[in-house]
Amino acid sequence: MKAFLKKEWMETIRTGRGFLLLLIFGLFGIMNPAIARLTPWMMKVMSESLRDAGFVMTAVEVNAMTSWSQFYKNIPLALIIFVLLVSGSFTGEYQKGTLIPVVTRGLSRRKIVAAKALMIMGLWTAGYFLSFGITFAYNEYFWGNGIASHLLFGAVCFWLFGLWVLGILLFLSTAARTGTQVLFGTGAAALGIYVLGMLPAPGRWLPARLMDGMSLLQGHTVPADYFKNVIIACAMTALFLLFSVLCFDRKRL
Amino acid sequence: MEMLALNHVKKRFGEKQVLLDVSFCVPEHTVFGFVGQNGAGKTTSMKLILGLLACDGGEITVGGEPVRYGNTRTNRLIGYLPDVPEFYPYMTPAEYLTFCGEINGMASGEIKHRTSELLSLVGLEGERRRIRGFSRGMKQRLGIAQALFNRPKLLICDEPTSALDPAGRKELLDILTAAREQTTVLFSTHILSDVEHICDEMAFLHEGKIALQGSLEEIRRIREEAAMELELERPEDCKELKAAFPFLKPLGSNGLLLEKSEALPEVLRFLADRRLSLRRMERREMSLEELFMEVIGK
Repeated sequence: MKAFLKKEWMETIRTGRGFLLLLIFGLFGIMNPAIARLTPWMMKVMSESLRDAGFVMTAVEVNAMTSWSQFYKNIPLALIIFVLLVSGSFTGEYQKGTLIPVVTRGLSRRKIVAAKALMIMGLWTAGYFLSFGITFAYNEYFWGNGIASHLLFGAVCFWLFGLWVLGILLFLSTAARTGTQVLFGTGAAALGIYVLGMLPAPGRWLPARLMDGMSLLQGHTVPADYFKNVIIACAMTALFLLFSVLCFDRKRL
Repeated sequence: MEMLALNHVKKRFGEKQVLLDVSFCVPEHTVFGFVGQNGAGKTTSMKLILGLLACDGGEITVGGEPVRYGNTRTNRLIGYLPDVPEFYPYMTPAEYLTFCGEINGMASGEIKHRTSELLSLVGLEGERRRIRGFSRGMKQRLGIAQALFNRPKLLICDEPTSALDPAGRKELLDILTAAREQTTVLFSTHILSDVEHICDEMAFLHEGKIALQGSLEEIRRIREEAAMELELERPEDCKELKAAFPFLKPLGSNGLLLEKSEALPEVLRFLADRRLSLRRMERREMSLEELFMEVIGK
């Protein structure tokens, strides 16, 4: 598996995907405090232009919470871009036939799934926490993060939600033949769970709730409220990985 | 000992029965030609041997071990060169071969030695470019290097020469001939001159079955024994003989081809009785191509 993992890493670096992810997650990390910092200035500019029309805008106060609010609005977009970038990880290899010499050398298919899952989930973890770390550092520097409660638990919740989405993506990658099928399938599943999660009863159980880190930070909820969702997300991710292995064992390459 | 054996193998894709009943054996240290028209099922057969497809019936063994669909253990004994070998384009040939060695669990010193040995064998030594910029011929040469990397007991090559120029083809055939010392080669092709050049044994796959199998000499002998060319002095004698024996096939203006050797005494008796003069009679030397055309009925 080490050899295949090394190949996955080489692919990430040499195809420029690694640099792109670094750039995207880095930018998303900087963008949150930057928007918060620029908000008073933008409001001032807007209030001057709207004054003639009779609108009066009051001064807004920004703090770390404004930046964290941006973080939870922007990070789903970063996740979508990440999914777009890794959706062809398996299907690209099916279409080119590059896995055939690997499998016919005797490398177990399970090790291929494990190496790809480890790389995709590892990249998500690194990218996500890079973004979180940049936002955290800037917030600390400008305003201090003391205002936000359960900051780390909130971050872990969205990271788990990302892993759950990637679990679906991995399963669909072993079942589908094209990147488009993987993308549509993952999108449909995530959207379905998101819509279901808006209903009060299923919302208490489904992983979609893990996206709502702001309630935790504002103190409207406590970590114990999310335990069911965390357990369900972990169990579903593990199941998706198991199904991926079983599906890839029977996959016609 | 048999390195590879297929026993009554069947494969269907939807409505199409690609392999009806395929059985053949490949003895150790032979170069075995697997011949058939395009679409005859050669690649399907190879994928079944590699466990990349599931058999609908029958059994395949490699080195005495049964092949299982999916994760077959028999692949550790096999080196495979696909018809269109595809590699990771961002790697150099040396990096790709190192990757192959690591997958096979070889020690790093051995990987280094084998990489340089094989790159030199296929003429890619000192090639620092990434595979992205390689021609089809260079990819084919790298393909043979990766297939030989783990010193396989069985080397499977799917139409390895079909896209190469004459020089590249000769080089590849020389490599396969040399490989016979260490391994057994199963080599699918529709280029019959390649079979004549390097194969010890061969099998014709036609309409989902093995239509003919044996050593090159045996196959030629079977056919040659059965075929005699007769040339008569005059065209009218030829017509008379043809009228008496309708199974004779016309061969030029005065010639006839006799494929049933058991009918020869009767034909000769007829010629003597009717005082028809025979100019020439000889055993026919069939080319592999003629044999192939005969097998496929054209």
